[in-house]
Amino acid sequence: METRQQGSTLFSAILVLIATLVVIQLWLVAAALDALLARQIAVLVPTALASGALFTLSGGLLWYVVSFDKRLRHGGPRG
Amino acid sequence: MRADASHDGDRFSGERPRWREDFPVRWDEDNYMTRRELAKFLALGSGLLAGVNVLIAYIGLAHAPPATQVLRVAGVDDVPPGGSLVFHYPTADDPCILVRDGSGRVDAFSQVCTHLSCAVVHRPDAKALVCPCHNGSFSPLDGRPLAGPPTRRLPRIVIEQRGGSLMATGIEV
Repeated sequence: METRQQGSTLFSAILVLIATLVVIQLWLVAAALDALLARQIAVLVPTALASGALFTLSGGLLWYVVSFDKRLRHGGPRG
Repeated sequence: MRADASHDGDRFSGERPRWREDFPVRWDEDNYMTRRELAKFLALGSGLLAGVNVLIAYIGLAHAPPATQVLRVAGVDDVPPGGSLVFHYPTADDPCILVRDGSGRVDAFSQVCTHLSCAVVHRPDAKALVCPCHNGSFSPLDGRPLAGPPTRRLPRIVIEQRGGSLMATGIEV
């Protein structure tokens, strides 16, 4: 059974994880720009795919944590 | 009758002034961002960055030069041993340099330095392609960086001899 303490810890952990994914995406954007200017076209598609995958992961984590939070609120305080 | 009114009838209930309870604007709370809002903001930023990355890929693919393009660079005897020749391949915006070493071997590379895009020049005495901007140098045999800030090799232009001409037929990144 979930408790508010567990929910708070989970929320913080997922927040840090999403922030880390965003930093990796920033690095991917920088690498893609560098490759574009160097005419290294082969690099561009993998970076775009990786960035899309990270966005999907971030969105999935956000959805999970929000649904977890909602479930906790509707379930009432436990612990 | 307010439930939180102090027993002695002061204007203040605890540390918060009573007028704050009736005033509709909460200045202090306006300065806070909840964790949920931060998570949504980060996810939105993630989506924006993914969009930027896709846009960069689209721009790169839309402006990619044709994969195979054959262009005459020079005659076989136009470049003496130890000499070099600047040409453009595959478009007029892509400067390249053809180098012939003492043995007669011919190699060609992009003239754009992989550090900050200055033009590299051939220095036969140093046996290197040198970027004068930051003293980077590349091997004239395979384009790999020898010294200075560059870390990536120069893209190689594939040169074929057809009859009496040197033809550029492709790029090896």
